[in-house]
Amino acid sequence: MSADGTRSVGRGRSEPRSERDGLLVIEGLDAGYGDLQILDGVDLDVGDGEYVAVIGPNGAGKSTVLKSIFGLTTYMGGRITFGGEDIGGLPPEAVIRRGISYVPQTENVFPSLSVRENLEMGTYILDSVPEDALRAVFDRFPILQERQSQRAGTLSGGQQQMLAMGRALMLDPKLLLLDEPSAGLAPDLVDEMFDRVDEINRAGTAVLIVEQNAKEALRRCDRGYVLVQGQNRFADAGEALLADDEVRREFLGG
Amino acid sequence: MADTYSRGKRVFVERPLELVLLTVGVALVADLLSKLANGTVTVLTLSIFLKDGIVIGLVIGLAGVGLSMTYSILNFANFAHGEYLTAGAFAGWVATYLVAGAGTVSAGDLFLLGVSGGADAGTVGASVFSTPLAVLVGFAVAVAFGVALALALDRLVYRPMRGQGAISLLIASIGVALALRYLLAFVFGTSRTGITGGTLPTYTVPVIDLIFNAHELALVAAALAMMGGVHLLLRRTKLGKAMRAMADNPDLARVTGIPTERVVRATWIIGGGLTGAAGYLVVLETGTISFDYGWTLLLLIFAAVILGGIGSIYGAMLGGLTIGIASTLSLIWIPSDFTHAAAFAVMILILLTRPSGLFSGVTTA
Repeated sequence: MSADGTRSVGRGRSEPRSERDGLLVIEGLDAGYGDLQILDGVDLDVGDGEYVAVIGPNGAGKSTVLKSIFGLTTYMGGRITFGGEDIGGLPPEAVIRRGISYVPQTENVFPSLSVRENLEMGTYILDSVPEDALRAVFDRFPILQERQSQRAGTLSGGQQQMLAMGRALMLDPKLLLLDEPSAGLAPDLVDEMFDRVDEINRAGTAVLIVEQNAKEALRRCDRGYVLVQGQNRFADAGEALLADDEVRREFLGG
Repeated sequence: MADTYSRGKRVFVERPLELVLLTVGVALVADLLSKLANGTVTVLTLSIFLKDGIVIGLVIGLAGVGLSMTYSILNFANFAHGEYLTAGAFAGWVATYLVAGAGTVSAGDLFLLGVSGGADAGTVGASVFSTPLAVLVGFAVAVAFGVALALALDRLVYRPMRGQGAISLLIASIGVALALRYLLAFVFGTSRTGITGGTLPTYTVPVIDLIFNAHELALVAAALAMMGGVHLLLRRTKLGKAMRAMADNPDLARVTGIPTERVVRATWIIGGGLTGAAGYLVVLETGTISFDYGWTLLLLIFAAVILGGIGSIYGAMLGGLTIGIASTLSLIWIPSDFTHAAAFAVMILILLTRPSGLFSGVTTA
C-alpha cells in the first residue's frame, strides 16, 4: 500500500491488499474532467460488507473517486475492479448492473416525480419493480411509505436524503457509494443519518462514504482513507486514524 | 379599517400591473356583456369564436406538446419544429391523395397535390366523410413521417452536437428549418393549395344554433385522444416516468441507470409523431396547405409553450387553448388582421405577472 508513498499510521492493521477479500479494488487511479487531472495514483479498496470512509480537505478529489467508479469522469489510467472484473470506464448503467449504487451529494432526487416514482426509477434496469424491494425500503424508511404519492421536491432535506438512499437500495446493491450524505442536514439529523448508514452496512451492504464530517465518519467506519490533492495520504482503521496526532492536527481540527 | 386601507394601499403600490390588468379584464367582460345585451354581438357569434378558438388552440397545443417535450428533455428550442409540422402534413396528404384518387387521376399528379396537372381538390374530393380510409391512411403516414424525420434529423444533426450548448443547437435548428422549408417549396411549389373537397356533413348544437363540421369534430377528437395518450404515457408507463425524470435531472437519471440515449430517442419518436399528426389535422381543418404554414404557426406554438411554462406538457396544452381562444375572441373588438397581435399581447401580459408561465413549478417532462 506504500508504493506511492502512502503512510500507514496503524501498526499491523493494514494487511497487503491481496490477502484482503477485495470487493472493490482501485489501483493507481488517474482521473479528472477533460484535460484537468484530479486524481493522481489513488489506491483504495473495499472488502465484502466493509464500511470505508474517505476524508480530506476540500478539493482533495474525494467525490471524484466515487464519480470515477461510476464512469462519470475522464479515465486516465490505473485499474478499477469490482468482484475481480475490470469496471474502469464502464457507463453508469453497466456499473449498476454489477451491483454498485451511487447517491450523489446534491440534487439526488427527481423533484417532480412522486416519492414512489423516484424509488421505481431505481429499478429501471429491471423489467418490473420488485415489490419486496419496495417493501424493504419502506420498512427501513417508514416516512417514505407515508409520503409515497407526494412529490419528492416537497420533502424536507433529511427526507430527500432518505429517499435518495432508498432509491439506491432498491436493487439491493453489494456496494453503496455515498457522497457527503450529511452535507446540508440539520445537526440533529446528521446523527440519525449516520445511524441509517450503520444499519444498511450491518444488513450486509458494503459502504464507501465520502464525508466532510470526518470525525463522525471515522468513528463509524471500519477503515478510512485520507486524500490530499488527489493522492493517498493516510490509510488505516478508522479508530487508528482518529487517534493519530498528525491526522488529528491536520484534518480533524486538533 | 385602517388595516384594510393599508393593505389596499400596499397592493396598489406593489402590484400596480395586476391592478391595471384586472381593470382591463373587468372592462372587457363588461363591454362584452353590454354588447350581448344590446345585440351588437350575438350568443351565436360568441360561441363560434369560442369554437374556432378551441379548434385552433387544440392543434397549437398538440404541436406545442412535441416542442415542449424536446425542449425539456434535450434542453434546446427546436426552431425546425414548424417544418416537422409542414413536412408531416405534406407526406400525409400525398398518401391521402394517392389512396383517394387512385384510378381516376394519374399518380404523378396526385403526388404533387394539384400544384400542377389534374389532381385539384374538387376532383379528388378528399374528406373524412367521402374518403375516410384515405384520411386514416394519410393520418398514419403523417405520424410515421413525423417520427422518421425527427429521428433522421436527430441522428444527422442534433446528436453529433449534443453537449454543444443550447445556442449552437438553436442556430443549427434554424438551418434545418430553412433547408426543409425550401426543399418542400422545391417539390410542391410556393402557392397555397386547396386540399380537401366535397361537401361535409355538419352538426348543429341546439338552442344556440352553433354548427360544427365533420373535420372540426375529427380534429377535436383526435387532438384530445392524443393528449390523453401523452398524459397516460407520462403518468403510468416506465418510459414516461423516465422521461419526466430526465427532464428533472439528466445527470441523476444517468447514475440511476436510466438509458438516457434511448429515452432521448423515444422523446423524438413521440414528439415527432404528435407534430406530424398536428400538421395533418391543421390541413384537414383549414382545407389548404402551403410550404410555409408550419413556420407561420411556429410563432403561435412558441407563444403557447412559453405561456404554459416552457418544458411543461400540460402547460403547452393549456397555453395552446389560451392562445387559440385569445386570438379568436379578440375579433369582437379588433379586425381579423390583428388576431395574432392579440394572442401575443395576452402572452406578454400573462408572462409579466407570471414570468415562468402558467405551469411554472409543476413542470412535467
